[in-house]
Parts: sequence; structure tokens; C-alpha cells
Amino acid sequence: MRRFILMVFLICIGFGVFSQTGFSLSDTIMIQEVVKVGELRKYQPGAKIDEISAVQINLAQDGGIENVLRRFTPVYIKSDAGGLSSIHFRGTSASHTTINFGGINLNSLTLGQSNLSNIPLFLFDGLSLQYGSSSTINGSGAIGGAIYLTLGDKWTDGIKATAKTTIGSFGEFMSGAKVYAGNGNWESVTRVYWYQKENDFPFTNHYTGNVENPGAFSDIQHGASVKNKGFLQELNYRFTKSQFLKSSFWVENSWYQVQPNMQSNYHYTETQVINDDNVRIWTDYTNNEHRINFKGGAGYVHDMQVYDYNETQQIGTDRFIADFQASTGFSTGLGLKAGASYKYINPDVYSYSDSVIDFEQQVDLYLSSFYQVTRGLRVSLNLRQMFVTGFEAPFTPSLGAEYVFRTGSESILKLTSSLSKSYRVPTFNDRYWGVQGNPDLLPESGKNAELGVQFQTEKEGCQTSIGVNAFFMDVGNWIEWRNFGIWQAQNVLEVVSKGIEFQSNTNIKLGLAEADFTLNYTFNPVEPVKNVEENGLLNRQMNYSPLHMGNASVGLKYKMWRIFADGQYTGWRYTDDFGRKLPVFFVANCGVGYEFDFEHHNLDVTLSSNNFLNADYQNERYYAMPGRSFRLSLKYDLNLEL
Amino acid sequence: MMKNLLNFGLVLFAFLALISCNNNEIDDPFPSELVEGCYIVNYGSFGKGGASISKYDYHNDVVTNFYNEAQNGGNELLSNIQYAYPYNDSVYLIGNSSDQLITLNPFLQQTKNGVSEQLANPRFCVASGDYLYISCLGANPDWSKFPGSYIAKFNIKGNKVEKTISLPGGPEGMEVANGKLFVALNYKDSIGVIDLKSEVVSYISTPAVTSYFVKDKSENLYVTLVSTYNNFSTESGIGYINTKTTKLESTYKLENVSSSYGSVIQANDDFSKIYLITSAYDANWNLTGAVAEFNVASKTFGAGSVISGVSGISGISVNQNDDNIYVFSASGVTGAGKMDIYSTSGNLLKSHAVGAFPIGAFFLQ
Repeated sequence: MRRFILMVFLICIGFGVFSQTGFSLSDTIMIQEVVKVGELRKYQPGAKIDEISAVQINLAQDGGIENVLRRFTPVYIKSDAGGLSSIHFRGTSASHTTINFGGINLNSLTLGQSNLSNIPLFLFDGLSLQYGSSSTINGSGAIGGAIYLTLGDKWTDGIKATAKTTIGSFGEFMSGAKVYAGNGNWESVTRVYWYQKENDFPFTNHYTGNVENPGAFSDIQHGASVKNKGFLQELNYRFTKSQFLKSSFWVENSWYQVQPNMQSNYHYTETQVINDDNVRIWTDYTNNEHRINFKGGAGYVHDMQVYDYNETQQIGTDRFIADFQASTGFSTGLGLKAGASYKYINPDVYSYSDSVIDFEQQVDLYLSSFYQVTRGLRVSLNLRQMFVTGFEAPFTPSLGAEYVFRTGSESILKLTSSLSKSYRVPTFNDRYWGVQGNPDLLPESGKNAELGVQFQTEKEGCQTSIGVNAFFMDVGNWIEWRNFGIWQAQNVLEVVSKGIEFQSNTNIKLGLAEADFTLNYTFNPVEPVKNVEENGLLNRQMNYSPLHMGNASVGLKYKMWRIFADGQYTGWRYTDDFGRKLPVFFVANCGVGYEFDFEHHNLDVTLSSNNFLNADYQNERYYAMPGRSFRLSLKYDLNLEL
Repeated sequence: MMKNLLNFGLVLFAFLALISCNNNEIDDPFPSELVEGCYIVNYGSFGKGGASISKYDYHNDVVTNFYNEAQNGGNELLSNIQYAYPYNDSVYLIGNSSDQLITLNPFLQQTKNGVSEQLANPRFCVASGDYLYISCLGANPDWSKFPGSYIAKFNIKGNKVEKTISLPGGPEGMEVANGKLFVALNYKDSIGVIDLKSEVVSYISTPAVTSYFVKDKSENLYVTLVSTYNNFSTESGIGYINTKTTKLESTYKLENVSSSYGSVIQANDDFSKIYLITSAYDANWNLTGAVAEFNVASKTFGAGSVISGVSGISGISVNQNDDNIYVFSASGVTGAGKMDIYSTSGNLLKSHAVGAFPIGAFFLQ
């Protein structure tokens, strides 16, 4: 298989090298990317990187980022109905995805992953996804994928403000505001939000254990409340168009009750509470005025989690981060970027011994390059080496290629291909937790091959983009906590994930009407091919990894009216090694909105329904999910020029 | 002559009819042919289900996994089973998430609802007369001092918790002896002693926290002394408690006694040997499970482990019919566990796959 992919990769490059059919892309071809995604693609031409559209972000802005990912991307989100959700790119675990904000990877250094419900979409202007490995760009952990949370490059001249409030079923309430103020050079952006949900939804409880009066019971969910609040302040200054300083200060508090399973809910008496406090500060300076461009950034992150108000059992870290990079572009189409990043990490975890871990330092050295071989062909090479206190991280290279050629006057075809290695350094808990920390762990190491084809066309007001990607990923030294006399993290598996992803976007304009259609489908077999446990799972679909997933959405706009609907199909999932399965489920959402447009301000009113078909389903076995719910959102925009 | 023969025939017929009416198969609702066996308790994954009971027919060497589901129309256990306790004609299951006491008949059939009232984080149970005493960690435990832990007094006939007896310190295993309830405290260097008549609580100081008991033929107790993360101790081993004087009379040190929850200490049929789960390092310095043997007569541990090299050891049990040692192990909570059967000399006799995360077994006759 690897030979096959390598061969296709080489053929792709070779085909492009010998092709002499240059062209220039039409300005009107729909390329859904912003500057930051463009920068990512520049050095990773073979990678699959998508940006969530502003329309889709607006539809799923209430709560964490898991909502928008679940509704509009082919990525599996495992979640309960409460405050816990994790991302599983291409069958990998939640710790195999990095979530990047500025130069910060949001993932907890103790747990190695992020709770998506604690990352409010409202605070950000954009969200992009990179599928597959990107450790050479994003460092440790980017094995299955990467998420990029972005803030806009608005350089406000005047005052703009957005305020949004939502009330919904089951005690849902969200209120947030963003205020942009500046003179074109100075800019202040203030973002605040508050989100809460009682989550007292009705559901049919099939797990009462009532043998005297068997049958389903109409139950109400208890103990699944969520309360999140956040504040994000940007202060930016632009010296010139290509020299600027940006800083962001983000404070977040996330509180949620651990949702009881259905059988406990039937006898509900108590539940636990998890409280997270996070401070994330990032400042960077960019100077693109010279032949060699510079960018330097520094940041500080404080993460603290407290379980059930027990202050004696805190789990937290403090880290200082610095990053510096220099890049240059040659007229010959050769681009180079070299950089280094440094992290100083001080854990504050009740179960770590100071004699074992007081602090840790991490240094990454990286080199990125691309070469425009012909007008249609671009190749890239990325290299990264990480150094960790007392730990050996692997050298990580990646190769990418993209070949674009015109298939008609208004259409192009893009072939992409990449080969990359990836890695993940074990988490602090894996290495230092009490007497169970395992200092002998090896880093997880992945090999990723990707092949993609994308067709884009635009004709008479109709823009369409259709893409198919095939991928193959082999992750060795996969870490899981297992019972080896004591529970301990161990390198236990080698997992192969492969599959096909299909994505299409279509936009049609007919006079005052506009319609958008999206369709995503993923076929993803993911199986352990080696298991250190003699009787362990082998050559069978991993638990909680759907083989089939798909979603579709349609949005219609006519004058100031909007109508939208979307649906998500999630195939069956194994829940244990005995072959028990959770059945397929399909969840559909819809809504209607109207925008009142005034001279300097407008008001958007949206009424929507989630799970309007009232599907009775479980995303995680034994945990109830809400049925049909309704939301009313009011969004007010103010735009004043000074 | 003919009349005598007729009378004899009538008497014989009546006798045969009488003995046929006295057949155990009809009178005994739970005939031993159907009940006898070893029942393995598989804990499953906390909060995520997967608990089950496997039945092992040791006469025919046949394991039936998910036996409880077969006996209950396919209905699964909805709690993680922390402990199973056969008493009289019932088997009591201590369930976590959801917290409940489940009562089964010897066929493992559940005919009445579980009881959850006043049972917050239950751990273990033991019976005395018409009462079942259930150790509970209490609601929202602090995982440090357990100020809210208690013993629930469950009326078996009334099928409800009658009262609770406060017992801070994280009560775990229990045993009844000489009219007293002895409670191992897993987060306090003491054993709680509750007089079953007065229900007055007293304590026996111990050099380490404790977890489970075995009771000898004289109603005295051996208790595991364990070193845990919260209560580190160099005094791990077992302690001997004279239940008449309510004193810890002796301790016998042994390194690395398992601090796991489940069946970690068991005795053989004549109580000449006590087996304990320990951990030991193999030749490659990998930590693996082992079973140590304590000679009750000589009051000494064997020079080496009677069984060693068990990866992921999670419980032991002893078949009182042949004294074979059943060792349970599991590396995870979502896949099949393993039951290895050893002779008293530590020779591996058989291995079987069982349910998810086996933590012990009980035997029914």
C-alpha cells in the first residue's frame, strides 16, 4: 500500500514536471480561503485544508466549536449532551489533533487534548481544519488533524460592534458582544460572551433496570448543566501595511456537570462538577518589509482544572512560549521559512512529585520550503526536530505537491499529494502521574500519505467545488492507559487508518436569490494491526470510529430572508471489544432568518430548530442526547466610520 | 397369600409414590445441578456499562460469558459490579453507576428492582441475620478523608435501607465476627468496629490503611495492609485481628500488596493458606502481578510467589472444592478479561476468556 501511494505521489510530481500547460486562474473561481489559510497552504500545497464559511459559523455560534464541526465537516465528534466533547480526525484519538490559536496549542499538556465544548466559537472570526498529519508545521500531536482558530485582519477604522443573544430550549442562553474600535492603525477588539444551558431535556430512558415494570420511561435529564464565559481582548498596531504588532489576551472559565448515564439519571441523586480556568496570552510582531521577513511571538498559558470543587486536587500547568521565524521568497518561485520555538512548562498537578518533574523545556527547530516548479506545479518540503527535557523526540519530515491545471475556460482541476511523518510526545500525565507515570514511553509516530483531487468550476452564477481525498495513516507506538499490575500509559498499538473523503460545495445565484449546498461523506476503516495484548483487539474497526459518516446542508437566501437546513448521518460504532454497537443516527436541523438592514446597523432575527426530526439516539453508549429543540437568536451589528 | 401379595404391592406402591414425591428436583427450587459453578464478576467500564457475570462449569471446563444476560432475557447489567455476595438463597450485587443493590436468585435471575435509596457509592457488603451491611463512600466523596462515608444497614426482608451508620475514612471490605462488624478503612490507618447490637463504633489502629478481610475457622480475621497513593506506608502485608479482644495482635509484612479494589485476598478450604495479590518486577523490570502464599500454621509467607508474571492481575478466587487458585486479569475495561486456573503448587492448568475486567468470583453449590 505504501509503495502504491509513493508511486502515485511520484507520478503526480513527474506528470507536473513535464507538463508545460501553464495558465492563470480566473479571478472569479471560488477559492474559499483567507490569508491565514493561504499561508498554511503556501508551505503545504499537498495538504487538505478547509475553512468553515462565515455563514456556517453564524449558524452554529452558540456554544463550543463542536457544533459547527459536527454539522458541517466530515469529522467525528464524540460527545455527550453536556459539557464534554472530543474530536476524532480520521479515526485517531482526541490527543491526535492540535487546536491552534496564534502560537498556542490549546490542548492540555496534562491530558493531551481539548474539550471542544470549552472553546466558544463566538469569540473567533474563523475556523479552519487541516486533515491528516501536520507535525512538521504544528509540532507534537498533529497526527490526525489540526484546527486553526483565527481572528480577523480587519484593521478597523471607526467603530463596529456586534451583539448577539440567543435563548433556546432546555434552559439555553447565550449572550455575547464584539466591539472593534480603531483608526486604521491602532485597533482594539473586545469580545465577551456568556453561555449557559440547563440541559434538562426529556428523553426516553431504555435503561431503567426496572424489572417489576419493564419498558421505556419518559425521563428528564438531570445534572448536565453547562456554564461558560470568556473574554478576549485584542490590541493591534500597524506600523505600515506590512509591519504590525498583534496581541490577544483570552480568559476563559468553563464549568459543567458530568452528565450521568441514563441508568444513573433514573436514580439521580448527585453528579460531579468540572471547572476549567484558562488564561491565554499571545503577542506577535510581523515585519514583511525586507527581503527577509520576520515574525516573532511570545505567549503565556495558564490552564487549571479542578474536579468537584476539590481544591487540593488541582491539575494545571503554566507555560511560556516564544517563537521566531524568518522567511524569504525568491523570484524563481522558491520560498524558505526557518524558525524556532521554545516552551517552558511548569506543571502544578497534585499527583506529580517535584523530584520527578519540576519543569520541562521544549525546543522546536523547523524549516519549511516550497518550490514553484511550473506555473501549475508546486512542491514543498518541511522538516522539524523537537528537543524535550529528558525525552527523545523524532525527526519529522513531510513532502507535498500540488498540480493545478485548467480543464475548461471556467474550471480547474487540482491534484494534491503529500507524504508526511508525525509524532506525539506523551502527555505529562502519561509520564509523571503519581507512581503510575511511565518514563520509558516512546513517542507515538505516524506516517501519513494523502492523495486528493479537486474540481472547481464557475458558470453562469453557479460555482461548484468537488473534492475527493484518499488517505492512509499508520500510527505506531499508540499510547493507551492499560492495567499492567498498575494502571499505566503504555505503547500498546499500531493503528492503520485509511479512507476516502468526498466534499462538495455549490453556490448558485439567481437574481436576488442565492442558494448554497454542501455534501460531505467519509468512509474510514481504522483498525489496530498490532496489539501488545495477546487477546487484544486486532484487525477490527476501532471502538467509537464510524465507518461511514456524512452530512449535507442547504441554505437559501432571498432578499433579506434566509432558510437553511442541514443533516448529519453517523454510521454504527463499536462500543467495546465484544462487538456491541451503537446504531446509526441521523440528526437534522433547520431554521429561518430575516435581516433588518438600516444605514449603519442591522438586526438579524433567526429562529431555528436542532434535531427537528426528534431523533432518539446515543453518541456515547448510555448517555442521552436531546431531542427536538428551538432557538431564537437576535444579532445586532453596528458599523460607524469615524 | 394373594391378599398378602396385594397388601405388599399396595405398600410398595405407596412407598414408591412417597419417595417420588420427596424428590429434591421437585422440592428444591434451585437444584444444584443447575446452580453449581464458579461465577466470575466482570466489572466493565465505569459509567460506560459492560458489566457481566460469566459462569464457569469447572466439572466440564466450560465458560459461559454474559451468563446473567442469558438468564434475564437478554437484559444487561446496568451497573458496574463492584462486589457479589451470595447469602442464603440470594446473590447480592453491589452496583456502581448507577449505584444500587441488585438482588438475584441462584439462577442469577433478577425478579425485583434494585435498591438505590441511601446507597451512595456502595463498595462491599456482608450479612448478619436479616441484615446486609453495605459500605458506602457517600455522595460526592473528596477522595482524601471521606468524611461522609458510612455503613448502610439493609433489611433483607423489608428490602430497604433502614438506617446508616456514619464511618468516615472510606470503608471498603467488611466481615462479621463475634457480634461485631469489622470494616476496613481505605483512607484512614484504622479498622472500624461496629457492635451490631449497640451500633457503637470503635476503631483498631493499623500501621497502614486496609482493604479486605478473610475469616478463619475461629472467627478471627486477617486483613490486608496496603500502601496507597494517599496513604503511603512501608508496613504493607497482612494483619491478624483477634475479634474477641478486638485487637490487632500481629502483622506480617509483605511488599507490594495490591491496593486494587476487588478480590485481593482469599483463603483455601481448610484455611491453612491465604493467598494475596501482589506485584513484582520480572527479569526486565516490568511490573507484573503475582500471588503470594501465607502459611497460616507457620505464620510465614512463602519465599517466592506461588504464581508470578501475570500481567494486569485484577482478582483471585479459590475453588473450595479442589483448592485450585483462579487468577483474573485484564489489561483494559472494554475487552475480554482472562481467567487462569492454577494448582496449589502454582502450575497453570487452564485459561479462559471471560468478560470485561474480572475482579473476582463467587461459587454456588
